[in-house]
Amino acid sequence: MNGKQLLLKALKERKVRFLFGYTGGAIMPVFDEMEKMGAFEFVMARHEQGAAFMAQGLSRASLSTSTPQIGVCLSTSGPGAMNLVTGVADAHMDSVPMLAITGQVATGVIATDAFQESDVVGVMMPISKQTYMPLAAEDVEKTVHEACYVATTGRGGPVVIDLPKDIQNQQAGDDYRFDAKKFRPHLPGYFYTPTPERDPIRQAIELINKSERPLIFCGHGVINSNAGDLLQRFIEKVNIPVASTFHGISAIPADHPLHLGMMGMHGTVEANRAIMEADLLIALGMRFDDRVTGKLDEYAQNAAVIHVEIDASEIDKNVRTTVAINADVYRTLHVLMGDPMLTCTPRRRWWDKINSFREVMKEDLREEIEVGIGNDNKLLMKGIVHRLSAVTKGRDLVVADVGQHQMMCARFYNYQTNNSWFGSGGAGTMGCSLPMAIGVKLARPKERVWSISGDGGFQMNMQELGTIMEKQIDVKIIILNNGYLGMVRQWQTFFFDGRFAGTPMLSPDFGLISQAYGIPYRKVELLEDVVPAIEEAIACKGAMVLEFICDPSEVILPMIPAGGGFGDMMIRHPHAPKKDQTKQGEAA
Amino acid sequence: MKRRAILAFTLDHPGVLNKISMLIRKKMYNVDTLTVCRSRIPGVSRMTITLRESDQDRVDQVVCQLEKFTEVISVKELDTDHSYWREVAIVKLEIEASVLETFHGRYNFEILEQKSDDIHILQVAGSTRRIDAFLDEVGQGHIVEIARTGVTAMEK
Repeated sequence: MNGKQLLLKALKERKVRFLFGYTGGAIMPVFDEMEKMGAFEFVMARHEQGAAFMAQGLSRASLSTSTPQIGVCLSTSGPGAMNLVTGVADAHMDSVPMLAITGQVATGVIATDAFQESDVVGVMMPISKQTYMPLAAEDVEKTVHEACYVATTGRGGPVVIDLPKDIQNQQAGDDYRFDAKKFRPHLPGYFYTPTPERDPIRQAIELINKSERPLIFCGHGVINSNAGDLLQRFIEKVNIPVASTFHGISAIPADHPLHLGMMGMHGTVEANRAIMEADLLIALGMRFDDRVTGKLDEYAQNAAVIHVEIDASEIDKNVRTTVAINADVYRTLHVLMGDPMLTCTPRRRWWDKINSFREVMKEDLREEIEVGIGNDNKLLMKGIVHRLSAVTKGRDLVVADVGQHQMMCARFYNYQTNNSWFGSGGAGTMGCSLPMAIGVKLARPKERVWSISGDGGFQMNMQELGTIMEKQIDVKIIILNNGYLGMVRQWQTFFFDGRFAGTPMLSPDFGLISQAYGIPYRKVELLEDVVPAIEEAIACKGAMVLEFICDPSEVILPMIPAGGGFGDMMIRHPHAPKKDQTKQGEAA
Repeated sequence: MKRRAILAFTLDHPGVLNKISMLIRKKMYNVDTLTVCRSRIPGVSRMTITLRESDQDRVDQVVCQLEKFTEVISVKELDTDHSYWREVAIVKLEIEASVLETFHGRYNFEILEQKSDDIHILQVAGSTRRIDAFLDEVGQGHIVEIARTGVTAMEK
């Protein structure tokens, strides 16, 4: 067998079904072999970045199914590989297992600045979990298995295999043998410890038992270790409130009485105030990102911290821990649950306090959502997301893009399904939603998937409508169009005297664009049409685009200004938004 | 700024040095010295990196993140009290033999070659401070060229 055959054989053995990608000179042999084998479902993206996000979507959504799959994207050398970079970096920031296979120019011309040559390993090294360049056909199969192992174990991440064209065609020697079942990667420097140690568990239980104002953080690690149900049972057992990080959302039902919602920069008042007042934080699978902590010097000053995290280098990185548990979240919760020393106290005063925090913005938000319209009778995003949540009973899968609408989706959709919330967190990559939703749909074909973007983010990867058209992928697409880059506009309103530099945006006619791709479309401008439009999209067989014309002056609150502490949390609009000078950006 | 030495055992693979130096750059350090050699175990390299940082937490972070690399087998910071830090310098001096003679016994050096009456090439070994002291005492005016290896270190 030759390199390309061994590559595809190994992918097959790893139960890979979908390959997302785009062909080109240096990867052609692999594509040709794929066509001959007929063993994979190939999804052609319209841009390699799209392929990377599709692979991410597949990895993330399939994680909680009985058949987890690793998302694989393929590209050619040079520009093809460079177009994958954003998607790979994004997966790295968000700990998403993924395999990126790039063609490379033949070994004989590497480092001669050959046509479409880029130093892929050099570029990918700091933004991926591992990089490989097999230099013999005999190494290819082993590399794929090792790459999948590294990507999916411990803290997940993207792994890149840069495969020179001559190695794809090179014949393995006659005596080449490889047994995937017996293969154990030799990685003396690769450690991860899923099982928690006894001592820190004991210390953690002591801290939990004596805490008067404890708070649990539900991070991405809860989703990644499939510990949502277990966490729900745990919090019910110990009667401790829980706040979610951006990626922890949907691990437990959003409206669970012990759930305080999302924490951090645009988190709920109750989550953020509880963090300020807590005497114990139990952080599960998270990394205390700056959007979560705000100013570190002022962060949770009165609290002891129990940090459960599979990646040892995250412990004590930003927040000093009292008890560190370097282990898998599921296993840690399992051990904690089973320990008879763990007690449950009513903590009435703590709950009274939390319930008072819950009242702070409740009425304002309820009213805004109910009224549903803002300036110039334009729709409010939070009202739309709330109505989508009501119509779908919070059961659907939501893939948000990046920006103001993303925070609306994080806050106002009532997630009921485990692992039903997807998007770009750490990297904050605009344009991720549409391609990621394709991967999510392929991983969970029986569930309804909504790709929700702003007008800005949608246009960053809207070419993937072509993939949706060609593969007839049933993704319901929502564009919340306010004619601006909404989140930046909000900052400009608050901190830049309302000068809207580079944020007003003239969009094309999304109706004509949808029509060009043969996808049904409906534009919604009136509140009474919101629910019927959502229902129409649900009834529609296959993809549909809904464009909602939104009020650009809407803001997402609360907000902790960048670099500020939790004490600086803004819960009201600091001043009435200035009258827009630039009208050209208003939605067409 | 306190000088730190980090000792790492890594797989002897291409790209490992690149990965490590990239992390150090990402953490905004300028490498003071970096030495790599084979270790006792075939296929495993020994690397000593020195950099300047006063904050212990930040050094711990570098150690933790180095340890995370698949090719890095173990890492630790070596403190000055419990380890030897040594380097070697090759120095070309324009100096009278009789003057050089006065340094004998006080510094650990070996004359590799005497090129002319007053041109000597020597090898000096010892701690960074010791080599610095030797060079100071010789005086800049006498030094034609210096090559230093950078620090290698071992725990006591």
